[in-house]
Amino acid sequence: MILSDILDAQVLGPDGARLGFVVDVRFEIEIEVEERAVAASEDEPEEKQEEKPGEKSEDVGQATLVGLLVSPRTGGSFLGYERSDVRSPWPIAHWVRWRHRGTFLVPWEDVADVRDGTVRLAAGYRRQDPGLP
Amino acid sequence: MTRAGRSTRIVDARLHLLSRQVLDDHGEPVAVVDDLELVAPDASQSPAPGSPARIGAVLCGPSLVTRLFGGRPPASRRARIEWDDVERLGTTLELRVRADSLDVGWAERWVRDRMIGRIPGGQHDPEASS
Amino acid sequence: MKRILGAALGILTAIGGFVDIGDLVTNAVVGSRFGLSLVWVVLLGVVGICLFANMSGRVAAVSGRATFEVIRERLGPRAAGANLVASFAINLLTLTAEVGGIALALHLVSSVEPRLWIPVAALAVWLVLWRTKFQIMENVAGLLGLLLIGFAVALFLLGPDWGELVRQVTQPSVPQSESPAVYWFYAIALFGAAMTPYEVFFFSSGAVEEGWKAKDLAQNRVNVLVGFPLGGLLSVAIAATAAVVLLPAGIEVSSLSQIVLPVAAAGGTLLLAAVIIGIFAATFGAALETSLSSGYTLAQFFGWSWGKFRRPARAARFHLTLIVSLVVAVAVLMTSVDPIAVTEMSVVFSAVALPLTYVPILVVANDPEYMGRHVNGRVMNALGGVYLVVIVVAALAAIPLMIATGAGS
Repeated sequence: MILSDILDAQVLGPDGARLGFVVDVRFEIEIEVEERAVAASEDEPEEKQEEKPGEKSEDVGQATLVGLLVSPRTGGSFLGYERSDVRSPWPIAHWVRWRHRGTFLVPWEDVADVRDGTVRLAAGYRRQDPGLP
Repeated sequence: MTRAGRSTRIVDARLHLLSRQVLDDHGEPVAVVDDLELVAPDASQSPAPGSPARIGAVLCGPSLVTRLFGGRPPASRRARIEWDDVERLGTTLELRVRADSLDVGWAERWVRDRMIGRIPGGQHDPEASS
Repeated sequence: MKRILGAALGILTAIGGFVDIGDLVTNAVVGSRFGLSLVWVVLLGVVGICLFANMSGRVAAVSGRATFEVIRERLGPRAAGANLVASFAINLLTLTAEVGGIALALHLVSSVEPRLWIPVAALAVWLVLWRTKFQIMENVAGLLGLLLIGFAVALFLLGPDWGELVRQVTQPSVPQSESPAVYWFYAIALFGAAMTPYEVFFFSSGAVEEGWKAKDLAQNRVNVLVGFPLGGLLSVAIAATAAVVLLPAGIEVSSLSQIVLPVAAAGGTLLLAAVIIGIFAATFGAALETSLSSGYTLAQFFGWSWGKFRRPARAARFHLTLIVSLVVAVAVLMTSVDPIAVTEMSVVFSAVALPLTYVPILVVANDPEYMGRHVNGRVMNALGGVYLVVIVVAALAAIPLMIATGAGS
C-alpha cells in the first residue's frame, strides 16, 4: 500500500454516509536518543561541568501508522493550522482553522476498507482530537 | 556517562514528511520525499486495512509531469529508500548512507559522469584557497 | 571596509533587483515621462523587499532551508510547480536581457557590434559561475556596481531645482501628458521590479552558500538594511537625472546611450567612464544573480544537490541548469529580439506571481518547527500582513492594467 492510496481519499461511514476526506495520515515514530557527556575541561569549576550538554545522537526507529485525519473539506490543510497551536500569521491561520473545523482523527484500527480512492470506516469508529501533542 | 532513552514522536505525513528534503550522511541533498510505502510489521506484504502497518520505505521520483498534473507512475519507476536508512528527522530527513550508494542518485551520477565531470575544473573545490 | 564587504550579499542582490538593465531603462523611462512622482512606489518597494528578504534570510540562516525549498515544502507539488514554471520563465527572460545588457555596455565603449559581444559575455558569466568563490563574486560585482552612484553625483553637478524635485516626490500627481491608468501601470511595474522573487531566491540561497547560522542573524539584518535602500537610492538617482535632463527636453528613452546622457552632460568623461563601468558591473552581477536563481529554483524544487560552495561534480544537475540557461539566453539574443522590452513585461508577470512566493515564507517564518525561538515577532507579522494585502492587490491589478494601457505605451 502506498500513502497516496489513502491521501485525499473520500471517507465513508459504516453506513455509507459521507464524512469527508483524508487530509493527512498520522504516524508514531520511535526515537532512540543517546546522550554522551562531553569530557570536561580541567579548568572549569565543578558546577559548570555538570551543566554542560552532552553529545546527542538520535536514531529514528519504526514509524507505526496511528490513524487518519479526516476533514469535511480538502485543500489548505497541508498548512496544519487546525492541528497545532500556531496562530500567526493571523489571517491565514484563521482561514485554515475555519475551513477545516470539524477535522477529527480516526484510529487505524477503526478503518474497515481502503479501495479505489475510498476509505470505509468500521462500525463504532472513534472520533479523536486531531491536535498534535 | 551515557544516557540512553527511547521516546516517540507524532508526525503527520503531509505536514512533516511529504515534499521534505532527503540528505545523505554528509548532508548532501539526495531527493525529495514524494510518497511513502506502507508495509505490515513483518515487512512481507501490503498491510490489511485496520491491522498494524508501518512505513517500509520512502519513495522518490515522479517526474515533473505527474507532480504537476497528478497521477502516479508505477512502483517500478520510483526509487526506494529503506526507512531503516533514515537516521534523523527534523525539517529534513537525514540518512545514514552515502548518496552515491543509493538508486535514487542515478540521474545525478549520470549527469556528473557524462557531462559535468568531463568539463575541465569539474572536480575543483571552489572553497579551497587556490 | 570589512563592514561593507560583509553586506556584499545584500548589495549584490539589490543591484540585480533595482539597477539591472531592465530597471535602468524603466527608471530612465519613468523619470523622463513622470518626473519623480512615482518615487513613493520605490520607497514602498524598498520597505517591502527589506521585510521579505529579512524573513527569508532569517529562515535560511536558522533552518538552513532556502526559499524555493520552503515553497516546495509548504505549498505542495502542484502550487509549487506552477510557481516554478512562472519563476523559471521570468528568470530566463531576465537573464537573457542581462546578457544582452552586458553586450550593450561593451558596445558603448567599443565600436564592436553588440551581437558579437553576446557569446563573449555569456562565456564570461559562465566562467565566473564555474570557478569563482561565491564571496569573491559578490564582493567584486557588488562593489563595482556601486559606481552607479555616479548618477547621484551627476544629479548634484547638474544643479537642479531641488525644491521642485522635492515637491514632485512629496506631492505626487499624474503629469498632464499621461493618463492615470498608465501612471498606475508603471507604479505596479516599479513595485514588481523592487520585489522580484529572484532577489529572494538569490538572497536566501546566498545565505546558505555563505553558511549563515542562527548566530549570524545580525549580519542578515545589516545586509538587508544596507543593500536594498542603497539599491533604491541608485534607482531614484537614475530617474532623477532623467527627470532633470530628459523630461524637459522631451527625449524618449530608447537606448543605453540616452540613459547615460545626463551623466555626460553633467560631469564629462571621467564620471561617464565610472558610470559605464558601474553599468557593466551591475548588469554582469544581475546576470550572475539571475542565472544562479534559475539553478537554485530548479534544483530546490526537485531536491537536487546545489550550491557554488560544492564542487561542480557534486552538484552536477545544478551546474547543467546554469549552462543550459546561458545557452538559451544566447540563442534568444542571436535572433535579434529586443530583450529589454521583454523584461519590462516580465516584471509585471513577476508582480502577479509574487504572492505564491511571499505566503510560504510568511507562514514558515512563524513556524516553530523551522524557526525554534526565532519566529516572527508581532511587529514583523503586522508589517507582513499589511504587505500581504498590498502584494495581492498589485497582483490582481497587474494584468488588467497591462491590457488596458497596452503595457504603458
